[in-house]
This record gives sequence, C-alpha cells and structure tokens, in this order.
Amino acid sequence: MASPQTSEQPPPHIDPTQAPVAFGNWALPKLIMELQDVELFTRQRALAALCDLVHDHERAYEAILNGCMERLKVLLQDEDNLVRVKTTEVLYVLASHSLGRDAFLKFDIVGPLANLLEDPENACRKNVHQALNRIAEFPSGAVFMVCMGLVPRLVMKVSDEEENIRALILSTLSCCVSVNALPALESDAILVLRDQLSHPSPAIRQAATSALVGISVPADGKMKVCEEDLLPMLVKLLSDDDQGVVANAAGTIMNTAVITKGKSEALNAGAITPLLRLVVSENVAVCANALRALTVLAEVPRARAQLLEHVPLLKTRLAHPNSIIQRAASTAIEVISWKP
Amino acid sequence: MASNLQAQHETQSGVYTFSSRPRAVPNRTKYRQTDPLLNEEQSSYGNIMYDRRVVRGNTYAQHILPITSQPDPVEFLKQQEARRRAMSRKRLKEQFGPKTPEPLEGRKNIDLQTEMYLEELSDRIEEVSVECQTDMFLDKPDTPLFIPAKTGRDAATQIEEGELFDFDMEVQPVLQVLVGKTIEQALLEVLEEEELANLRAQQQTFKEIRDAELVEVQRLEERERRLRVEKENRIKQQKAVLEKEKETADKIAARAFAQQYLSDLLPSVYSNLRDCGYFYDPVQRDIETEFLPWLMQEVSNALEQKYVARTVLDMLIQDVTNQRFEAFQVQE
Repeated sequence: MASPQTSEQPPPHIDPTQAPVAFGNWALPKLIMELQDVELFTRQRALAALCDLVHDHERAYEAILNGCMERLKVLLQDEDNLVRVKTTEVLYVLASHSLGRDAFLKFDIVGPLANLLEDPENACRKNVHQALNRIAEFPSGAVFMVCMGLVPRLVMKVSDEEENIRALILSTLSCCVSVNALPALESDAILVLRDQLSHPSPAIRQAATSALVGISVPADGKMKVCEEDLLPMLVKLLSDDDQGVVANAAGTIMNTAVITKGKSEALNAGAITPLLRLVVSENVAVCANALRALTVLAEVPRARAQLLEHVPLLKTRLAHPNSIIQRAASTAIEVISWKP
Repeated sequence: MASNLQAQHETQSGVYTFSSRPRAVPNRTKYRQTDPLLNEEQSSYGNIMYDRRVVRGNTYAQHILPITSQPDPVEFLKQQEARRRAMSRKRLKEQFGPKTPEPLEGRKNIDLQTEMYLEELSDRIEEVSVECQTDMFLDKPDTPLFIPAKTGRDAATQIEEGELFDFDMEVQPVLQVLVGKTIEQALLEVLEEEELANLRAQQQTFKEIRDAELVEVQRLEERERRLRVEKENRIKQQKAVLEKEKETADKIAARAFAQQYLSDLLPSVYSNLRDCGYFYDPVQRDIETEFLPWLMQEVSNALEQKYVARTVLDMLIQDVTNQRFEAFQVQE
C-alpha cells in the first residue's frame, strides 16, 4: 500500500556510468579500493565517481590521505583509453587544490604524467597538458618541471599539437621560462615561438608572446631575439586586437631593447609611434609595458629627441591611480629629460 | 487468573460457545511481586515450552497431581468446601434428624420396610443390557464449511483517485536531492574556478611588478654599463691625448738637445774621416787602384807565360829523353 514516505528499498541506480558512492567516511576508501579492481568496468565507474567527488576540497584531502595518488600513478599506464582519460582528468582536478599540488610533487607524478605526452588519445593528451599547465602555474611546480628537463620536450610538442592544446603548452612554457629561460633557449624555442606569433587564434598568440617575454629576460635571449628579426613582427603585434597580446609584445620589446642592438633594431622597426599610442590605453598591463619600453628606448639620444615632444602626454599618466603606472611614467619622464 | 470473567453458557441450540479476549498466557514470576501490575499488559510472556503448568509426556498414565507440584489451591479450596459441607451436613443431621431410641439389651435394631407393598431389597441390581452398533464404515460426511459467525460491524471504504499517490508531493524529495546535488557539484566547480581565477589574478599582478622590477634592473644595469664603458672610453681617450702631448713635448726636447749635441759633431766627424783617409785625391787613388794592379797583373801574366814555356820545354825534354831511353832499351 502506498504511503507518503519513500520506500525502504534503496533508490534505483540513476547513473550507471558511475560507481555507487558509499555514505560518509566510507565513500573514498571504497572507491580507492575499487580502483584496483581486476575488472575494467568497475575501475572505469570508480574513476568517474572519483572525478566528480574530488572537486570538493575535503574529499580531495581525504582521497590524498587515503593514498589515492599511488593508485592513480599505476592507472596512468593502464591500457584502456577511457581509464587513462579519466585518470588524467582526476589528476587535473586535484592539481587545482593546493594539497593536491603538494602531493603531485611529493609522489613524483609529473614524471609518469609527462610520459603520456605521446599518448594516441586526444582527450588524454589534453588533460595531461591541462594538468601540467596547472602545475606550472605555481612556483615550485615550475621549478620542478624545469629541473626535470620537461621544457625541451614541450617545445618540440608545440608545433605538433592542435590549436587548443597548443595554447595550453605555450602557457605552460611561459610559466617555466619565467623561472629559468636557459633550457628553452637551448632548445630553439624562439624559432618555434616565432611561427606561433602569426597564428589566427588570439589565445595562442598571447601565450606565445608571454613566453617570449620570459625568454628575452636573460642576455642570450635578447641577442637571439634580435638575430631572429623578431622585432618587426612584435611592432606589428602592437596593433593587435587582443589586449593581452599587445601587452606581452610591448613587454618583449621592453626587455629586448635593453641591449644596444635591440634598441637600434626597435627604432629601425619604428616602435615609438605605436608605443606612444598605447600609453593612453586603459589596460594596466599595456600601459605599464608601453611606458617602460619607451623608458628603455629613451636611452638612445635620437629617440630621446623624438620623445621630448611627447613629454606632456606622459605627464598625464602621472595622475593615474595605479602606483605601477605612476612610477613607470615618472621614470620615463626622468630618463627622457636627462642631459649628459 | 481467577478474577477473569469467563463467559460460558449454553445457547438454545445446544452449541457450546466460549469467548474471552484472546490473550497470551502470562508467565508467572518465581517470586511474588510486591505491587502487582495493574492495568498493564503482562509484558513477560512465557514460552509455552518452559511453562511448568503444561503437561509433558504421555497423559494416559499420569498422576493428576504429581508429588512435587503444589496442591492446586482451587482444588484444595473446593475440597475444603466439600469437607466443610459434609461436616455441616453431618452436624445438622445429628442435631435435627429423627433419632430412634437405643435398642434394649439383647435386641438389635434392624431396618424394616413399612410400606404397603414389600420390595425385595437385594444387592443385585436389575440391569438391562442394551446394545448399539453404528453402521459399518459409513463415509464420514463432508464437514460443513466453517463459516464463523459474524461478529463486529460492517464497514466499507473506497480509495478515491489521487488519494493514494500524489505525484507533486512524492516528487519533492527526489527533486530536492537531484537538484541539490547538481547545484552543489556545480557550486563546487564554480568555487574552484573562482579560486583559481583569483590566484591567477594575484599572480598576474605580482608578475607585473616583477616584470617592472626586472626591466628596471636590467635597464639600469645596462645604463650603468654603457655609462661606465663610455666613461672608460673617454678616460682612455683623454689619457691617450695626454700621452701624445707628453710624447710630443719629449720629442721636442729631445730634438733640441740633439741639435745642440750634434752641432759640433760635424767638424769632428769631418776631421775623423779625413784622418781615416776618406778624403782622397782621385788621381792618386785612380793610379793606386787601377794602374798598379793592372801593371802587376801584366807582370804576373808575363811571368806565367815564361813559366809555362819553361814547363813545356821541360816536358819536351822529358819526353824526348824517355823516347830515347825506350829506344835504347828496345835496342838492347
């Protein structure tokens, strides 16, 4: 007979693609045990359920404490495609929690993860790159990746992959080169980046230019940038639509123009006019980078002569609320008005 | 137990019915309760298997009252009653019953029949034997269907549509769980992304500052280097100029000194040369260098010719002598 209460029977299994999650504290240990199960179907379902659960911080903490990282490391080498895709997805979600990131470094998961860079399955590679990107975004992760020698492999992969994965690889590279640019320089990253600068997708261009900013920090990088004739392309990118691209291009010019050769090449490419135009931009990064680039270029006497006429424009920027812009503007004015 | 009313009655038709509220046999505790449980359901129902009042074993050869059991108080009471009644009846009879006088000595009282007609009193009881026999093996008729008598009141009920199951009400908890879980998961993911976005924004600002500082540092470094190099160049140039000036001054001084030193060098040189014979009379020299050697040469030529001639002559003589000698030798 029907009653207004729900029945005593357990509810029907709504989602057959996920393993049923036990209640409370037993959920995660049970799922982790199921991960080792011999049968493939059980493992897949357990991975799908785990994937949904680890979005929650407390669950992620529990999972890591219960030793799921070892199991996931074993599962990374599984033969089934779906298992690998889901495992990389779980690792990607775990990398968004700080405890997960620590666990990544402690259990040395980056190594086996990097072995999956050549995986035939697209979704798996995408997840791998997303996970690597997250790890590279925080400082010790980037240091670890550089020490592991992952940068040359990533540089090689840039030209092979399709669009959205390429953007991920490039942003990973830009994080790594901000730690240490030398391995990237040695693996001819500048050539690769030069090809990406003319790609139609703005995300790729932004990531490529930000990697260039990082590479042009050490002196060798600056020399190489000048040698490879990148400055005319960068000046052209200053008129790009995407503000991120513009900011990064201005940043690269700013870094490269520190050496004399860079200054001369930048002036030859006519960098001053676009930079002056960018000074009045609203975007903080664009404005700051443009001001700094002008500062660096103003060391050259003939540029200084040209810029002396535009000092009033720079003075307007002194009133900007952001302190970075104020400092950059004051430095620029000081350098331009310097007399030997 | 004894206090419960038991309705026993024979109905008109002679069917025996018995009705009492059905209840389980309560278990008697071993020890008496100080306050007997009133108006309560006896909670301690005993297991019939372990009830001492239930007869165990075969019932056809059993003492009704086994020795160990307590005498049933009801039975005991009844017996007492019966005994008392008998006693009272006896007493009554003694008091109020007609008493015959005692027999005299040598006589005996015997009972006599004083009715009109004498009856034979004997111990033999008249009996009549009656026999009865059922028919052989008649089939037992079917037991009539037991239709218990109707008790209670009739009641009817009908379930209208919509009373049993109201979808809107039933679906509430299910929907709540579904929607709740989905929203919870979505919230978690959105929170995660927001957190990451915040982290990235922080990183971005930090990166900005870092870039600015880096570029400043590099620019200033570069500037310092350039200025230093420039300065060094200038200094070097200046030094070179000074050097050159000094050198020129030295040269001039040296030149002046040299001129002065060499002023009287020339006459002494000339005199030295003349002394060494560097200034000569050309004719004398000519004669000395050419004529006299030529003369000597001619002289030696002439002498040589003479010598040669003499040598040839000597050879001739020698030859002839040798020939003559050989000729003489042959001849001998």
